[in-house]
Amino acid sequence: MAEKAVQRETVLSLRETIAQIENRRLPGIVRAAKAADPAGFRRKREEASCNKILPLGVPPLDDVLEGGLPLEGMTEIRNAETRDAGAAAGFVTALAVLCQRRKKEKGHLAPVLWISQALASREAGLPYAPGLKSYGLDIERFLFVSIRTVKDALWVAETALSVPVFATVVLEIRGNPDCLALSESRRLHVRARAGGVPLLLFRQAGEEEASSAFFRLQIKPASAGERPLPDGSMLCGSISHPAFHVLVEKSRAYASADIFLEWNAHDRRFYTIEQSVAPQADGQPANSVDPFSASVGRSIGADPLGRFLAYARAS
Amino acid sequence: MFAAKIDNAMRLVALDTLAERIGLKRGQGAAEARAMCPTLDVVIDDPAADRAFLEGLADWCDRYTPLVALDGKDGLFLDITGCAHLHGGEKALVDDVLSRLFLLGVEARAVISSSAGLSWAVARYGSAAVIAPEDAERVLAPLPVAALRLPAETVALLERVGLKEIGDVLQAPRAPLARRFGPSLLLRLDQARGHVDEPLSPRLPVPSFSAERRLAEPLQDEEHILELARHLSGDVRLSLERHGEGGRLFELLLIRVDGRVFRIQAHAAVPLNDADRIAALFRERLQAVHDDLDAGYGFEILRLSVLRSERLDPAQEDFSGVPDESQPLAAFADKLCARFGPDCLMLATLAESHLPERAGGFAPLEDVAALIGSRPGDEKVFPKNRPLRIFTHPELVEATAEVPDGAPRSFNWRKTQYRVARAEGPERIAAEWWIDGEGHPTRDYFRVEDQEGRRFWLFREGLYGRETSSPRWFMHGVFA
Repeated sequence: MAEKAVQRETVLSLRETIAQIENRRLPGIVRAAKAADPAGFRRKREEASCNKILPLGVPPLDDVLEGGLPLEGMTEIRNAETRDAGAAAGFVTALAVLCQRRKKEKGHLAPVLWISQALASREAGLPYAPGLKSYGLDIERFLFVSIRTVKDALWVAETALSVPVFATVVLEIRGNPDCLALSESRRLHVRARAGGVPLLLFRQAGEEEASSAFFRLQIKPASAGERPLPDGSMLCGSISHPAFHVLVEKSRAYASADIFLEWNAHDRRFYTIEQSVAPQADGQPANSVDPFSASVGRSIGADPLGRFLAYARAS
Repeated sequence: MFAAKIDNAMRLVALDTLAERIGLKRGQGAAEARAMCPTLDVVIDDPAADRAFLEGLADWCDRYTPLVALDGKDGLFLDITGCAHLHGGEKALVDDVLSRLFLLGVEARAVISSSAGLSWAVARYGSAAVIAPEDAERVLAPLPVAALRLPAETVALLERVGLKEIGDVLQAPRAPLARRFGPSLLLRLDQARGHVDEPLSPRLPVPSFSAERRLAEPLQDEEHILELARHLSGDVRLSLERHGEGGRLFELLLIRVDGRVFRIQAHAAVPLNDADRIAALFRERLQAVHDDLDAGYGFEILRLSVLRSERLDPAQEDFSGVPDESQPLAAFADKLCARFGPDCLMLATLAESHLPERAGGFAPLEDVAALIGSRPGDEKVFPKNRPLRIFTHPELVEATAEVPDGAPRSFNWRKTQYRVARAEGPERIAAEWWIDGEGHPTRDYFRVEDQEGRRFWLFREGLYGRETSSPRWFMHGVFA
């Protein structure tokens, strides 16, 4: 009997270890066993782990992110083309605002560190202070580092993650450089977890690539709503709050349909917007858009044909 | 043997002892000299290289005293007040300088005396190593008047009237001398005798605190240098603490065995007096300058100086358990600045300007503590609807508008055509005439959204019809 209990305890602890390695919540059976712990010693830790996520206030996205943005670890946000960098930067900035506000509610005035590969900020533009301010960011606590090479940018990010001061660290990289492969991203992820700082890896104009991030979101532009008039109608042709089209590319939960969000800088929070179809192309009917949602864990849609035709062998 | 082109002829400008011994003179034609001695090695004079070499020597002389001044093209003044005893007395100091320079392949003459003028004169025209203050006039008397650092015309004039030696001038009555040759002669004479003080202007500011280590065995390894730097930081820390100060700018001086001097400076974001933190600064700096720091056969002298220091009130740990967050942040800023330069870590700034590119910018982070602590924020009113990212140089686009003054209908940016679905504007921003001057075109900004939902900030430069007939369009930023 006693032997069985010991075995059970061993299995449970092994499962816990595996869960920790895989960054996932404790499996139900372990959780149940822990809850049954008569002394209740560990309960505090369990509660603390719930504290490490930041709910975004948008149920569809929060469901996919298992509660919200992980506050210890890496989250990757990418966009496909340079011209979409504005939307992705907006989404990243919105997350930074939320992180900063959360710290402020806890009584810390925390700076946001934005590390940018010089090429990335040259191609997509430099962060603009008045714009960031009207976006809701505490501009007096916005630190910007522009670094020439990716390697140096990684070094800065790693150094910054060991400083438990920042509300969030944003690492902006252009494309898919070789020196930010799986092992480097793993390194960053582990550092971010150890330092307890959320790291937002902003991959500008990059391809989908395996990484150690908890989640990978692709941000596409979406047309913004119109400004409301006092009588409740909408001002035709006006451009209101910025909107995003979020595609969840990597997550543990089932990736639901495309999520359309809007950032309200005044309330400093996201709202979902009703935009069941992708913005209409000129003159095309709405139903010509692929109605199927993106599948989990693979790229959105099949690769276009003819992409790999230029093999030397084929000729 | 060096030659340079003077008055359209190659003339000798500098010679070594050997050349002097065979009868060559300064100012002689190079061709004539070659005729006298066919094996002569004539090198074209390079004043810039001479200067660099002299600066290098001056750096090297830092080992004796921090007060080193350059003198003309070929001399150095060292103010050794209070330093001689560290090197075993004045005579030993001169011997040490000369023997070390000889080993480096430099032929030099050195004199120690109570005035710069006397040393200058004796080093060039006399032969003595150390001159006591009371011997000044006796040593000075037999020297030629050229030893007084006078302009060539004055020297020629003096020689013409028969005052060939300084002794002759000393005996002559002063008033007629001043009347005839101007005040500079008497000034130089008094400076040489030590009657008039002559300030030397040292090349580098004298550090307020410094610690030095001379090594019997030269160091090559970076780790060892860092370890020694940490020891030196400990020494500096003691004196910093005594004065209640912390250093903001540190300099590590490394003198290589062959006389080459390296200076590595490191900035600190907050006043520092902690040995480990100071050493950590240099760890990053050494990483950054890794390739430039050629250890060669090793470094024999290391000196750590504090070039700039500020008041540092000792902080006491409290029991609240809340860690002081500005310290790790300052350490982070130091690491970054040591590695990538002081302008690496930038803080966003806002300026009151109408022009978008002036309204927002970045400035190097100065005050780390203010970043964490709450600051009385002056809530300036800034326009809403500004883009998140802005291009440093607005990019030219080809745009077509329905009406000349209206919003664009479509535009071509970076070789891609965009059709505008919605546009807001114009927001008219006039140039700042008090900075740019009048006649700078006005801009009309439009916030546009293309059909896929990208939002851009475009402007038209120049008012149509009034300022220009064919306005150009620019892309200035992107919205979220």
